[in-house]
Amino acid sequence: MTSSAIPVTVLTGFLGAGKTTLLNRILTEQHGRKLAVIENEYGEVGVDNQLVIAGEEELFEMNNGCICCSVRGDLIRILGRLLKRKDRLDGILIETTGLANPAPVAQTFFTDDEMRGAFRLDAIVTVADAKHLLQHLDLGDESVKQLAFADVILLNKADLAAPAELDALEARIRRINSVAKIHRSVNCAVALDQVLEVGGFNLSRATELDPKFLETEYPFEWAGAYTLPGGALEVAIGHDDEDGHAHEHSHDGHAHSHHHGNDNELDLVILPLKSLGESDLAAARDLAVEAFSGWESRHREGEAIVPGPTLHRLELKAGHGHFPLTLPGPGLYAVFEQCGEVPLHLQVGKEPVRPDWQQDYHAAHEHEDDVSSVGFHQPGDLDGNRLNTWISELLRTKGGDIYRMKGVLSVKGSNKRLVFQGVHMLFDAKFDREWGSDPRANTLVFIGKNLDRAKLTEAFKACLA
Amino acid sequence: MNLSKHWAAQLDDYVIDLAWSPDGALLAAASAAGPISLFAAGDGARRHELAGHEQGTNCLGFAPGSGAPPVLATGGQDGAVKLWDAASGQHVATAPLGQAWVEHLAWRPRGKEPSDQPAVLAAAAGRKLGFVGIDGSHRPAKVDAPKTISALAWEPGGGCVAAAAFGGVRLWDGDDFIVQKELPYANGIHALVWSPDGKWLVSGNQDPSVHLWQPETDFELHMSGYEGKVKYLSFDQTSRWLATSGGRDACVWDCSGAGPEGREPAMLPHDAPVCAVAFQQGHGLLATAAQDGAVFLWSPERRQPLRATVKMPKPATKLVWAPDDRFLAIGSESGIAYVLRCEG
Repeated sequence: MTSSAIPVTVLTGFLGAGKTTLLNRILTEQHGRKLAVIENEYGEVGVDNQLVIAGEEELFEMNNGCICCSVRGDLIRILGRLLKRKDRLDGILIETTGLANPAPVAQTFFTDDEMRGAFRLDAIVTVADAKHLLQHLDLGDESVKQLAFADVILLNKADLAAPAELDALEARIRRINSVAKIHRSVNCAVALDQVLEVGGFNLSRATELDPKFLETEYPFEWAGAYTLPGGALEVAIGHDDEDGHAHEHSHDGHAHSHHHGNDNELDLVILPLKSLGESDLAAARDLAVEAFSGWESRHREGEAIVPGPTLHRLELKAGHGHFPLTLPGPGLYAVFEQCGEVPLHLQVGKEPVRPDWQQDYHAAHEHEDDVSSVGFHQPGDLDGNRLNTWISELLRTKGGDIYRMKGVLSVKGSNKRLVFQGVHMLFDAKFDREWGSDPRANTLVFIGKNLDRAKLTEAFKACLA
Repeated sequence: MNLSKHWAAQLDDYVIDLAWSPDGALLAAASAAGPISLFAAGDGARRHELAGHEQGTNCLGFAPGSGAPPVLATGGQDGAVKLWDAASGQHVATAPLGQAWVEHLAWRPRGKEPSDQPAVLAAAAGRKLGFVGIDGSHRPAKVDAPKTISALAWEPGGGCVAAAAFGGVRLWDGDDFIVQKELPYANGIHALVWSPDGKWLVSGNQDPSVHLWQPETDFELHMSGYEGKVKYLSFDQTSRWLATSGGRDACVWDCSGAGPEGREPAMLPHDAPVCAVAFQQGHGLLATAAQDGAVFLWSPERRQPLRATVKMPKPATKLVWAPDDRFLAIGSESGIAYVLRCEG
């Protein structure tokens, strides 16, 4: 793709989510530029002086029906015709039907020599209806895929959902696609630079991967920060307190369908916390990860807990237990918990304390969608040969299940960053700029179906030089 | 060999198609924006400008034979075929085919007994194939193609027209417009050409490859190894040489006897992807054009095949030889139609 290539934005989303609204908004606000719109139905979009072409989606399914080899014949044809003009177009917007699989659209711009030369796929923008997304997700594959493939997700009609619902939706979207930019919108009112010139397929922009979204497999499912008085408190586990004081980590309204390990055990780490600032929270989280991988100290009902980097395994009876907690002084404390279905409260006397901050972490096994993101952020260098062998084998055997892939890698022997991205089996990589003063590290994310986090982690780690 | 500029004329947009009238007296040039210009072949004077099609013209073609007046058919993004009297510049008739763009049209060639055959134009709009008479009457094919029709080519004797879509080629009888034969091909097809002797039907494909059929015998050959999809094909008048695009070389296959399998093709090099190939109609020169604006003439059978070169400021969009092979019309992306004289 050359720099003079015409940028292409692909709009996906279920019927009624607001694709047409977004299209019209872009066209209205971009009227100085010559854009062409390829829409999937006649007459939905209408803005003067803009080129609107209605087409019928036509899949060219290549050899033996492999989806990785399929392209969109209608796009090749229509875009080929759009190139036949004296003046260059400034951009292309492609609206897909609600049921379209984005993969062949993306692949069209990678595999067809003419399309690859003339156009530059900028981003896949998925418009999701905040009110109906959950229903759509339950309907089947395509809406999940549209989220999984997206570079940008508009959680539209955000006014029709409660903030807590939106939070839960975002959390669920994050588990499917950990790297897409998510914007809440009403009537698709977003700044145009949030949907145009996004650079979702730009190798150098792959560096904007935010490692904080690439949650590795945390050994805990929930953390909360509390402001506590010093002295004697109690950790109370169980449903015995039915008056509504349970901490509210409802996990998107889904009860855990399975507890990892014994139903009558609960793992806990309590750490003093400097502040609710991001770096202090991250430091505490990292310390907790370490503590969770250490030896556990077992506690029976009534046995005291002290804060510090130690894993406490609390033994419960029928899901209940009370454990004294002694704090050296008043202040902020973070509680990390691998919980089951049982709620946990910190009590001062009989009064439960509410957390000032809380977060759910997705453990490896927890997912309601079989499409997920698996990401790594790991300092150090990779062995180039082993990396190459691994990725080739992975794409050969799992390419059909891997929708998107992005990464910035540090390969031993090169002072430049290896940036790469891919769609299914199609893979694009190059060395871009030098690391310079940046710490050498590997950031890598896979988005796909039935991804085995443990296996991917193991294989990735085996590539470390 | 000398290639010199005869004349040039400016259109309002990209030159999307060109055609010489059967007597060689007129050159029709369609701009992608819609209007169609009719130029006098001798001096480039603009005889008429036809309105063409709203939203853009895609293709055009003169009815065969030296009947007077010459009839020009055009297809456009309005889903219609229009017929024009090229002598007077008058619109004669419109045949609406549907909502989809008319992207391909092809007049039935005159067979051995031309008087028996009324002029018939095959035109494709989306998945619809239509047969249009010289008066604009039209008859849609009874069944639509499974996908958008991507190429049309009449068998040189006029017995059938081949229509390609993703998945294969259908041969439609030229008299009763029913499907004679299906030639499956499991990929996208961008171009079709028959050898002038009617022995070979060749497709240029998305995958990228060319596929050859002998429809009479059901014999098939597949030639792959191209850099990119194959969009342009041309046979020489002897039916031996098949020129194809699909990379930085124009690739010429020897189709004599049992065909090109096992033979090395001649690779005629350009410095950029090839974007047009055209053999002369009655002689052996091959014109090729590339994305860098180069137009080369070749004699593929010679040891030193390159005969002449021209460099245009913009890439050529079409190469069309005049009926007497003395003039080569070149359309360009910048909207200029050039006519070059070929001597020596």
